[in-house]
Amino acid sequence: MAAGGLLLRLAGPAGDPRAARAGLLPVVAALLLAGLPLALLAIEAIATTSSATGIDQARVADAALNTIVTAIISTTIALTLGGGLALLVALTDMPGRRALGGLALLPMLIPSQIAALAWGRLFDPAGPVAGWLGLTSFGGHPLEGAAGVWLVMGLEHSPIGFLAVIGAATRIPAEPAEAARIAGAGPTLALAVAARPLIRPALAAAAALGLISAAGNFGVPALLGIPGAYPVMATLIYQQMSGFGPAGLGDVARLAALLGLGTLILLHLSGRAAGRAARVADSGRIIGRLPLRRGRRLLAVLVWVPMLAISLGPLLALIAASLVPAPGVPLTATTASLDGFRMMVDPRHGALGAMATSAVLASLAAMASVLIAVPIGLFAARGGRAARLGAGAFDLALAMPGTVFAIAVILMLLPPLPGLGVSLYGTPFILLAAYLGRFPALVLAPVMAAAGRLDPAPEQAARLAGAGVARRILAGTWPALAGPAAGGALLVLLTAFNELTLSALLWSRGAETIGVAIYARQAEGDTAAAAALALASLVASLALALTGLRLLARLPGLNAAFGDQR
Amino acid sequence: MSKPVMIAAALLAAATCLPLVAGHAAAGTASGDLVVYTSTPAKAMADLVAAFNTAEPDVAVSVFRSGTTEVMAKLAAEFAAGAPEPDVLLIADSVTMAGLKADGRLAAWPDAPVDGLAPDSHDPDNTWFGTKIIATGIVWNTAAGVPAPGGWQDLAGPAATGRVVMPSPLYSGAATIHVGTLSADEALGWSYFEALKANGASAVQGNGAVLDAVATGRAAYGVIVDFMAFNAAAKGSPVAFVYPADGVTAVTEPVAVLKTARNPEAAWAFVGWLLSDAGQRFTVAQGYMPLRADAGSPPGRPAVDAITIRTVSPEQLARTSDKTRRRFAALFGG
Repeated sequence: MAAGGLLLRLAGPAGDPRAARAGLLPVVAALLLAGLPLALLAIEAIATTSSATGIDQARVADAALNTIVTAIISTTIALTLGGGLALLVALTDMPGRRALGGLALLPMLIPSQIAALAWGRLFDPAGPVAGWLGLTSFGGHPLEGAAGVWLVMGLEHSPIGFLAVIGAATRIPAEPAEAARIAGAGPTLALAVAARPLIRPALAAAAALGLISAAGNFGVPALLGIPGAYPVMATLIYQQMSGFGPAGLGDVARLAALLGLGTLILLHLSGRAAGRAARVADSGRIIGRLPLRRGRRLLAVLVWVPMLAISLGPLLALIAASLVPAPGVPLTATTASLDGFRMMVDPRHGALGAMATSAVLASLAAMASVLIAVPIGLFAARGGRAARLGAGAFDLALAMPGTVFAIAVILMLLPPLPGLGVSLYGTPFILLAAYLGRFPALVLAPVMAAAGRLDPAPEQAARLAGAGVARRILAGTWPALAGPAAGGALLVLLTAFNELTLSALLWSRGAETIGVAIYARQAEGDTAAAAALALASLVASLALALTGLRLLARLPGLNAAFGDQR
Repeated sequence: MSKPVMIAAALLAAATCLPLVAGHAAAGTASGDLVVYTSTPAKAMADLVAAFNTAEPDVAVSVFRSGTTEVMAKLAAEFAAGAPEPDVLLIADSVTMAGLKADGRLAAWPDAPVDGLAPDSHDPDNTWFGTKIIATGIVWNTAAGVPAPGGWQDLAGPAATGRVVMPSPLYSGAATIHVGTLSADEALGWSYFEALKANGASAVQGNGAVLDAVATGRAAYGVIVDFMAFNAAAKGSPVAFVYPADGVTAVTEPVAVLKTARNPEAAWAFVGWLLSDAGQRFTVAQGYMPLRADAGSPPGRPAVDAITIRTVSPEQLARTSDKTRRRFAALFGG
């Protein structure tokens, strides 16, 4: 057990063997769930030779180029839209700023595939919106193809720009602006001078995050890119896997590794940008809001009308689509049909089952993420080297595009498990394994942030009094970590409940997730059912988020941890 | 016929006609769990299971559904993992079944109730059995103001420029057969598909997506399986369907039982019911052309022998199916 001994020594803070032992198990879990699949993917990608079902190099080059272009353009849109809104909300006296901030964050609650579905329906060539815009019918769909993928993905990722910029814009110091005013600058220029050093690094960090998210986004290119003949790496991997099966797994692994490598480079850049963003020191006095004066009303209209349109338009289109009796039938009071919803509540059609599957898997993932991530986060924040290794593995698994991680998990779990002789592939457990590899990082981040600020006194007191590790964590640190951990768990719950990227490749009979159920209904042309399901899952997510936030508000330590996460 | 009436009629048919199941299982005697992997659309499959359960109430059917290509990819992965899940496969085409048979994956039913079925609708060794006839033809939007299509070449013509969608062989089994058959044709061949590409045709995922694209005005013409277009038209979608005069491609949606089936008794009961008079009548009620002529045919369809069906030898199709998918994907991007 030399390796175990080494891990043991690395796991906890020096001179605390009990803490080391307590940290060992979750670290092993992290390395098995997150590290091993990625390692196997790297090995497979290097070791494999091209198979008979190999992909044309031209298709790969095409998809890779499209991925890069999509990432750049959608991120530009996301940062412009989200960042612009954040500046308005943080720095001006725009009417309804709080509500505007809420609308700006709304896309976070709406999974990509549902947003793409709703936007697609809104711009149906035979529908009213296309008619108003004078778009011609029968010659393609205005949003299917490159432009639609860029736009919808840009909107989906705009909260990234919003959160980054609002975090910086609420900390702009007053002094530089006052100095600029004294030097004769107008109020807008003075604000710009003061804001630039904070906003620029925040935007850089958000740009890297936006690029990573875009490379990993599957829902938007799957619904708008595949029918529009605009392949990106994520959809190419999915199509290759579903079209050729494991015979082409080696090639798919290489594709996944290629996409993963691109993400690694971005991660490195994002780390540097985030480092620069953090170096900007907080100052005492925060700058005041810029009064808009005469332009206030006009600007309010110019901002509020499009914001309401892009928030409510797709939702209304989704509702309309769920009521259409058959594709292409104009929706009127007499044609409206509830068949889509009837299908949903009919147990034979499995839609409720999919909802239950997602709910169970998401709950298990949230609970297990807390159990694994809290000790790792605690020990990692104290400098435990193995714990930091585990945390790194989880962070990497989350940053990797979901499609890449799914392929990695297939590589790990397709062969029968050693000792047991059964394969987890084709069972719900492979989905759970993928969730447990990918989502603990969502708990890890807030827990580590909170643990870094933790006052060590109560725990040391407990240790001096002879308390065991478990008891020390419970008595000394848990109260301070409960809020952040629960916040992370809520994030896992919502993300896992709505995800499609992993389950599109890993789902099996009896484990259809809600994401797959929506996507599959859409792919087989049952749009009313897909729209009805999408609405139901939106309502469920919203209820979950609101209930969760309400419960969280009662826990201590939450604001402290998430305040820094912006 | 509205959906509830259709289901009621089918249930009545299923309840009154004793299924002609012989040999492995008598009606109403099978029980336990039955796992079916299928490419039948989710809603149609759920109705089918309900109808089957009127004959075999004690069989609990669970379903994995996707396009035939993805179902097979899933199954191949399960074979590789040594744990094939399904008892029964109900997928689009017999070429895929022939491949599974050649790999020794399918069980045989020597005394299957195949009397009255065309000899080429099932495997001579009784491992797989066609259940219906699904022809691939052309759907078009009747509100588009475009000329009604007559033959396959019309999709490469000027009236169809930028207005054609087709299902992808990377998803659909019927599409694999369709592309495999037409590309092997001397007159059409791959140059036909290159002409379609040059004319701005695009590939979507399955046949359902084709219907959606044509009915909602994204495209004017679509390549599609017949029943989907007819069923949508009956429900009010602004679409019409034509069997091209120069010959359609067709699949028989065969059913088969895996040698590794965990519940062979229920599996054969399922197969027997699909081939029985009750099963075939239910097939008609769902809008499919049945294999048994005496089961009638859905309203508004031509007689089966009035349609020209193009055929290519299953061996050739089986040999070329991966190549067909690759070449199509390279041409249309998926």
